[in-house]
Amino acid sequence: MGFGGKKGTVSPSERNPSPRPKRRPKPIQKRKLKRKNVEELKQEVVLDDHRLTLEQLSAKYSVDLSRGHTPERAKGLLIQNGPNVLTPPPTTPEWVKFCKQLFGGFSLLLWTGAILCFVAYGIQLYFNEDPSKDNLYLGIVLAAVVIITGCFSYYQEAKSSKIMESFKNMVPQRALVIRGGEKMQILVKDVVLGDLVEVKGGDRIPADLRLISSQGCKVDNSSLTGESEPQSRSPDFTHENPLETRNICFFSTNCVEGTARGIVIATGDSTVMGRIASLTSGLAVGQTPIAAEIEHFIRLITMMALFFGVTFFGLSLILGYGWLEAVIFLIGIIVANVPEGLLATVTVCLTLTAKRMARKNCLVKNLEAVETLGSTSTICSDKTGTLTQNRMTVAHLWFDKTVYEADTSEEQIGKTFAKGSDTWSVLARIAGLCNRADFKTNQEHLPIAKRSTTGDASESALLKFIEQTYSSVTEMREKSPKVAEIPFNSTNKYQVSIHLREDSSQTHVLMMKGAPERILEFCSTFLLNGQEYPMDEEMAAAFQNAYLELGGLGERVLGFCFLNLPSMYAKGFPFNTDEINFSMDHLCFVGLISMIDPPRAAVPDAVSKCRSAGIKVIMVTGDHPITAKAIAKGVGIISEGSETAEDIAARLRIPVTQVDTRAVKAIVVHGSELKDMNSQQLDHILKNHTEIVFARTSPQQKLIIVEGCQRLGAIVAVTGDGVNDSPALKKADIGIAMGITGSDVSKQAADMILLDDNFASIVTGVEEGRLIFDNLKKSIAYTLTSNIPEITPFLMFVVLSIPLPLGTVTILCIDLGTDMVPAISLAYESAESDIMKRLPRNPKTENLVNNRLIGMAYGQIGMIQALAGFFTYFVILAENGFKPFDLLGIRLDWDDRFLNDLEDSYGQQWTYEQRKVVEFTCHTAFFISIVVVQWADLIICKTRRNSVFQQGMKNKVLIFGILEETFLAALLSYTPGMDLALRMYPLRIAWWFCAVPYSILIFIYDEIRKLIIRQRPGGWLERETYY
Amino acid sequence: MTKKEKKSFNQSLAEWKRFIYNPTSGEFLGRTAKSWGLMVFPKPLSALEYTFSASDPSSYRGYIEDLRKFLKPYTLEEQKNLTVCPDGILSEQKGPVYVACQFPIFLLQACSGMSDPDFGYSQGSPCVLVKMNRIIGLKPEGTPRIECIPKDENVASISTYPNNGIIDLKYFPYYGKKLHVGYLQPLVAAQVIFSANSTKKEVTVECKIDGSPNLKNQDDRDKFLGRVAFKIIARA
Repeated sequence: MGFGGKKGTVSPSERNPSPRPKRRPKPIQKRKLKRKNVEELKQEVVLDDHRLTLEQLSAKYSVDLSRGHTPERAKGLLIQNGPNVLTPPPTTPEWVKFCKQLFGGFSLLLWTGAILCFVAYGIQLYFNEDPSKDNLYLGIVLAAVVIITGCFSYYQEAKSSKIMESFKNMVPQRALVIRGGEKMQILVKDVVLGDLVEVKGGDRIPADLRLISSQGCKVDNSSLTGESEPQSRSPDFTHENPLETRNICFFSTNCVEGTARGIVIATGDSTVMGRIASLTSGLAVGQTPIAAEIEHFIRLITMMALFFGVTFFGLSLILGYGWLEAVIFLIGIIVANVPEGLLATVTVCLTLTAKRMARKNCLVKNLEAVETLGSTSTICSDKTGTLTQNRMTVAHLWFDKTVYEADTSEEQIGKTFAKGSDTWSVLARIAGLCNRADFKTNQEHLPIAKRSTTGDASESALLKFIEQTYSSVTEMREKSPKVAEIPFNSTNKYQVSIHLREDSSQTHVLMMKGAPERILEFCSTFLLNGQEYPMDEEMAAAFQNAYLELGGLGERVLGFCFLNLPSMYAKGFPFNTDEINFSMDHLCFVGLISMIDPPRAAVPDAVSKCRSAGIKVIMVTGDHPITAKAIAKGVGIISEGSETAEDIAARLRIPVTQVDTRAVKAIVVHGSELKDMNSQQLDHILKNHTEIVFARTSPQQKLIIVEGCQRLGAIVAVTGDGVNDSPALKKADIGIAMGITGSDVSKQAADMILLDDNFASIVTGVEEGRLIFDNLKKSIAYTLTSNIPEITPFLMFVVLSIPLPLGTVTILCIDLGTDMVPAISLAYESAESDIMKRLPRNPKTENLVNNRLIGMAYGQIGMIQALAGFFTYFVILAENGFKPFDLLGIRLDWDDRFLNDLEDSYGQQWTYEQRKVVEFTCHTAFFISIVVVQWADLIICKTRRNSVFQQGMKNKVLIFGILEETFLAALLSYTPGMDLALRMYPLRIAWWFCAVPYSILIFIYDEIRKLIIRQRPGGWLERETYY
Repeated sequence: MTKKEKKSFNQSLAEWKRFIYNPTSGEFLGRTAKSWGLMVFPKPLSALEYTFSASDPSSYRGYIEDLRKFLKPYTLEEQKNLTVCPDGILSEQKGPVYVACQFPIFLLQACSGMSDPDFGYSQGSPCVLVKMNRIIGLKPEGTPRIECIPKDENVASISTYPNNGIIDLKYFPYYGKKLHVGYLQPLVAAQVIFSANSTKKEVTVECKIDGSPNLKNQDDRDKFLGRVAFKIIARA
């Protein structure tokens, strides 16, 4: 079924349904429909217009191939089919984005807490004339925390999306169409089906075109197929595959040179590009790993809260409290388990990392994606531009029967070759003169490699190479002006130019370059060290070897030869290149030059880092297998000494089918093979090979590869710059687009943007991502620990009927005050060991928060902290006259507002208010004690395995955090007026020291634990307590 | 401008200094020295309100029983082991044995329960006892007394016993439950006498400590620090 044929049957209202009348379609139906569409889009492009003859084409679109549509018909078609634009992906309205921040994941937990607080307050209000407002305030604070944090993360993400918007190219594009026999410039969006369009070098193709004529037309399909080489285009039907055939040009690719005329065969969303764009926006996106981790964490915390709540609900009923009181207790305990500050801490930690990554050229669009890179176990990387420099560069030369290596590094340092040879200067002159590329003006200040050029990539590469290694090409061309030329075309496969000789002989020299085998046919002699020798068998064999060798490196090889034309063709001879009137045989062969888009310098190192970090790097490219394999070998994706089945077969001289597949770790899969595979076969390939290259892949296949990796449980990062990459980018766990060369569509689909297009930046990202995962663990362990000394006072209040040791205000002062900066400071902690030397975490078994972390925080350190708090509490009450045992069961009298002569252990009598002052002093002291024990907790949370003495105290933010929390605690206690504002009272200096022994105990206890873990790897203690 | 700022800075510095140690009140780091709290008897169930009807003994039986119970340690029988201390001076002691001073119940005169076992309730002139909370080591200065004033003097007048509501210094200081065995805290009784011509038999009475410079009777937060307020409602 062809595109065009299908389109004729679709009415405008169906194609572009107005949203109003069908405002409420049944959601299930809609979803089914959508999924079906996505499945359909995943199919390969089916197109048959390239097979049609021009007559059939003219009939199909009822268009005159020389005069185009009449303007009236064009108008009608425009109304019928709609404008030639891509439907933008449905953008999420800002308020929906904001609500997602407000009600997503962790926030939900806090909202639940807030609502429970309001319910508890409501109950108290209903049954009690003058209830304590604690629950009301707590509810308000919880809600405020969620709203403020929500605004913060919304603001952060809005900032990233602003950067995104700046990428957008807002210039409206124009197209040259022929309608009614007249050429006219119209906006691209007004181009209609069947329009006769003319494109020339530098234009963007306005729609999918079937060419009807062309002159030296080349298009850059890199954004669609990933091929960095411009492709020539002609009206000939050359390949069954519409993506490979020469007579189709695709919407939004660029015409590099030449001119062509074609008929529009698809517009807007039905173009190949449009289909990819719709496929992208139709894809369902999975949860980020960190979101899954936070969900898991919330589940754990909720379970803990319910466990505590229900246990003490039962206990309070047994102890004889009323139902209502028990319900209030239940809610109180559940809410007390909510770590109020953690949401803010996690958000700030992720933001800090996102900022750090942005400084290292990784712009993160979605905060949660910060960590995803750290969990990544497979990277599917595009080749062109990411692994390579995306510029053709001369890599090898072959002359004087020797292969010389050229310098391909970005900085052009080092390597040199035999420049003394006369053959070299001849070769350099041919490469410089028989060359249509030129530098654009006004870039003399730039280094040669950075200057932009006109002309195709190979010629530009030669131009730059000669300019760099020989002499100024411009001067050379001035001295030997070109008098005639035959441009390169795909039938001849060579290019000829005739120049006046530099010496004063007034004769001409003919220079030729082209496909090596074609060049050799023209030659009867060859140049060796500047001397001409007749061509012999030995030379022909040497040529073949060199050609094969360079070709085998995936390089594009060109041959060079020349002929000093005899004096009969002296100055003034009218050279005719259409009907050749000069001699063009018995040329002299000079040498070969080969070019490649070389790998970026930092990539091999980055790939090997990925490998040692247990990350599989898969190359997925639209380029040819040989080039792909050569680059893969160059950057280490296929490691040194690693062989594919074909390599082994060639080495052992056996058929490929006889190779022992178990020994093969590397594989190059061709897109056409992939097309015929089912998912089991693909899984088999992905599972059993460590070094995989996919070549000649279509966008749909990229998606299939990503899905395959995900099916095997991998967390997949995908890099890409072209529109063709965007479905895979969207589907990946983390899509990474290129900031410089990337298309807008790919940036929209990605989660992260590499501002310098460099694969090595990904490795930095992985490192940061892994570090933040470790540090978030520490941060959460630190924050959760203080939950126990915060909950136990309430539990003891209920069970032992003692005066409340720690109030809501002071709990909030810890969670949202003193604990915040220290918890955030753990995000600055440096790694304990080389995090790039360990395997990626297994998302199923290695959780952010696990039972062991909760066990350590709640069960061990938290308990010691609670002891510290209670110790301080009992000390203060005893100093005031209430001995610990006299406090048991005192609660009802203590909280009786009308009992103003409560007797203490010494017979003194206390008014209600006097008791409350003591109680609030206790709250303050309990709070200070938690701060003191949190000092030790912060220091032990710095490391999970190492001793603090190994790790050091280099984290300045952490030291600031300790000072800050201490200062804040003192401020809260001693500022005049705090007794009225927060009911916090000044403490005697001695009361600060009550918790110090516990602080020391925590430190020693945990140091010993870690010491045993280090000494007995895999031992019981590690299994039980290493989080 | 800068001068003004400097001044305000100096002011705040001075505030902080005064906060850390206030020489006039002897407060350190804002901690208040201890003060008496006042408490009344009988202890009403809810807020400090006494509702009774002189003609209905069952309406005030609870109050009377409460008062009797409270006054039990004050009977002469119970006090016979206690010391008779000289009036008007503090009974400072060095131990190891601390003696407690007698508080003869007759000091409460009409409210002692001796002459009128109904504590005035049957006559419509109820007695309410005001006592001070025990605080170890507190030594009142001057001549402390309890002064009770009705909110509306047209409705009722108050008689206090001992006369003028005097609290003798000999009952101070207190040395604690264990050392100071048998200690009796001094009491002041307030008898509310409704005016004969008043139809309204409802009055709020406020009692507070007076005459002692180191005993506060005004605290924004603590309504019982050196003062107490209660309401009497006498029904027909």
